[in-house]
Amino acid sequence: MTDPSTDPSPAGHVDAPPLDDYRARARAWVEANLERAPQTRPARGGDMTPQAVTEARALQRRLYDAGYVGITVARAYGGQGLGPEYERAFHEEARGYRLPDFGIAGGTTFGVVVPTMLAHAAPAFLRRHIPKILAGEELFVEFFSEPDAGSDLAGVRSQAVRDGERWVLSGSKIWSSGAYYADWGMCLARTNWDVPKHRGLTWFAVPIAAKGVTVQRIRQITGDAEFCQEFFDDVELTDDDIIGGVGDGWTVTQTMLIYERGGGFGHGGPARQAPKGIAPDLVELARSVGRLDDPTARDLIARAHVDDVARRALLARLGGRMRAEPGQAMHLASYAKLASGVFDPPRANLAMRIGGSDAVAWDDGDEAGARTANGFLNSRFMSIAGGTNEVQRNGIGERVLGLPREPSFDSGKPFREVLRDARSWTGRPAGG
Amino acid sequence: MSVKLLAFATPEQEMLVDTTARFIEKTLPLAKVRELAESAGNPDTDYVQTASSLGWFGLLVDEAHGGGSASGNGLLDAAAVGAERGAVLQPGPFVGLNVVAHALSADGPRHGALLERLVAGQTRATWVAGTVGGLTPGPGEIVARSDGDGYVVDGEVRLVHDVAGCETLLVSALGPGGPVQVLIGADAAGVEVRALSGLDVTRRVCAVRLRGVQARADAVVGVPGAPTEARLRQQLAVAAVLCAAESAGAMHTEFETALEYAKARIAFGRPIGSFQAIKHLLADTSLSLEMAKGLVAAAAEALGEGRPDGIELAHAAKAFVAERGVELAHACFQVFGGIGYTWEHDHHLFMRRLAADAVAFGSADWHRGRLAEQIGAD
Ligand SMILES: Cc1cc2nc3c(=O)[nH]c(=O)nc-3n(C[C@H](O)[C@H](O)[C@H](O)COP(=O)(O)OP(=O)(O)OC[C@H]3O[C@@H](n4cnc5c(N)ncnc54)[C@H](O)[C@@H]3O)c2cc1C
Repeated sequence: MTDPSTDPSPAGHVDAPPLDDYRARARAWVEANLERAPQTRPARGGDMTPQAVTEARALQRRLYDAGYVGITVARAYGGQGLGPEYERAFHEEARGYRLPDFGIAGGTTFGVVVPTMLAHAAPAFLRRHIPKILAGEELFVEFFSEPDAGSDLAGVRSQAVRDGERWVLSGSKIWSSGAYYADWGMCLARTNWDVPKHRGLTWFAVPIAAKGVTVQRIRQITGDAEFCQEFFDDVELTDDDIIGGVGDGWTVTQTMLIYERGGGFGHGGPARQAPKGIAPDLVELARSVGRLDDPTARDLIARAHVDDVARRALLARLGGRMRAEPGQAMHLASYAKLASGVFDPPRANLAMRIGGSDAVAWDDGDEAGARTANGFLNSRFMSIAGGTNEVQRNGIGERVLGLPREPSFDSGKPFREVLRDARSWTGRPAGG
Repeated sequence: MSVKLLAFATPEQEMLVDTTARFIEKTLPLAKVRELAESAGNPDTDYVQTASSLGWFGLLVDEAHGGGSASGNGLLDAAAVGAERGAVLQPGPFVGLNVVAHALSADGPRHGALLERLVAGQTRATWVAGTVGGLTPGPGEIVARSDGDGYVVDGEVRLVHDVAGCETLLVSALGPGGPVQVLIGADAAGVEVRALSGLDVTRRVCAVRLRGVQARADAVVGVPGAPTEARLRQQLAVAAVLCAAESAGAMHTEFETALEYAKARIAFGRPIGSFQAIKHLLADTSLSLEMAKGLVAAAAEALGEGRPDGIELAHAAKAFVAERGVELAHACFQVFGGIGYTWEHDHHLFMRRLAADAVAFGSADWHRGRLAEQIGAD
């Protein structure tokens, strides 16, 4: 996989400092400027308070001013233009220190949006946005899914209509994690209804504070309200807001999906970093309910551990395969995503089995008691969000294993007709 | 949308199920269950009284005490009622109250007056089982010390259902000569009831703590020691079957809702139910559901008839439903996709209920453990 976030021009590396010097300076800076992170991270509900966001922005700004964000991003866009080994070195030195925590929107902004933009947006767009993003001034969330289009992302119905110099956006997006405290949404909109669905799409950067954008928080299964629904009521955009080309939205989407799927471990799953010992979260749970010596509980923990180890090994292997077969990167990433989607739910069930009575009832305000239950309710996060298990399986079946494709009923005809025909589904191909 | 737990129902059973379903639909449909959950409330006295007039609390009680079954097998009838209740996530009282009625009924006329009032919905009671009653893992336990010709009981049990509005608790305790059961007033000195937060928001559970609570000789139910031990096995089997029946009902509604959704939701220009991935998932899930209904009915039938395999079937039914119920909720969640992740959608209420029921009155692991004890025993 080529990493589009690295500086494309070799010139960027010319004045790179020796790695050891860089590391020593980074360590000194970290020690002088960052606080130690608390040993156990406070369990965070879905809520990012305005104060937490302000704090994260301030800390991000300090890192930015010192040159420790966007380490691999080109200098023209506010980065440092260094190789990935420098970024790795910095993160190794910063381990155990408090870094900016933007909640879910942070992961989206830096993990999905920035690399996708770097790969497809025009230089002028990148000069305008990337430095601000790196400095913590612009947090982006995903405006992808809609009430009537989730798995079928190319079937979105929000539309942007050209009107002279401007574009006018209308429609609705849903499940946008973190939109209530973010600044921008990366939004997929239909710009042409008279071509097949993949060809009439365009990506826009939409300012959430713009006139005509309404954000509503959605209460979710755990009671938190992390994701939102947006309504676009004739929001005015310009050509400057476009990411990639008009009508070229699906090409951009494919890059985006690589980053979206890359995160192999979801909510409640094992840590990406190998933990000390066997499934420490489950061991702690068994201890807290007095079942550490119970042979059933021990067997369950050992089982979870075997899967955890296999999942970490899978990620390592996929990393290697993606480097060897860059053309397959997007499809191989489906394995990482599917592993979470398939293994998270039984792991959460297993925790419920260990927790027993204490996992279904606890004293008011006892966070530890609620944790197992919330983990259970959240355990299908990776089976659904960002492409369901079924969607990953279709991708693996057809693109990795080379199985014959399922007949498509909707990708050959103008999108306008797809909507019409779906209402009178007969199970026969179009016209049949 | 009746659950039809019984593949063949007598006209009397049909009538019982039908009046039950209509009463629930009219009095406490899902929207109201939700309101009740949000306010952490409980069904009112009217609900309990009407339910009693439909026969909910007398099915395991002889006619002399105001009870009576629809079909001659009261447990089978009660299971059918339980399934309808579970289908609409009704809060209590049901399982606990029926277990107490069953226990008192087995004790002849000794507690007849209380039993009659329970059957008539004039007062409520529930079962505080604890480890002694077979609830594991970790619900806590209660110990009874001899005191004159009665007992003093101490201990704490978590995960007690339907305590709200109860005047009487049937407490199973570990006594000096084996297990003992005593009736204790919910407001007696030394009784502390604490509402807990829980996964299942439609059914509030409590912790009951007893500190030096006096139980006089006339509060004892049954004969302490070996006879009570045998009674407890029976009591737990009854609770397990009724709880599994409620779960089967919850599974039914959750499944039906996902099935409807699979027919209506469009993706890629077609209903999602036209994808084999979804079709097969739902077909497998319907298989679990049919097995769950069949097994619960079989267990209720055998246990209700007093057949020797009754208790064994009850263990199997609870173990099967506890696991398959949670699995079914996961499968339906997958069909719902993002919408299932919201508080507004009813899915989570079913998922919570099924996971909590999976632990109530013995987890799958616990019930399998009881079956495992029988291996090679005969
Ligand atoms: C917690 C959470 C956070 C999210 N965050 C974001 C976000 O920040 N931004 C954003 O844009 N979106 C977000 N999403 C939306 C998410 O990407 C969608 O929910 C997901 O893509 C599924 O779409 P859907 O919910 O519309 O389900 P549907 O597409 O309606 O799917 C319903 C069911 O049909 C199945 N199905 C659909 N098509 C096929 C097929 N071809 N073959 C077989 N089965 C099929 C699905 O697998 C699923 O089981 C989030 C979702 C969740 C749950």
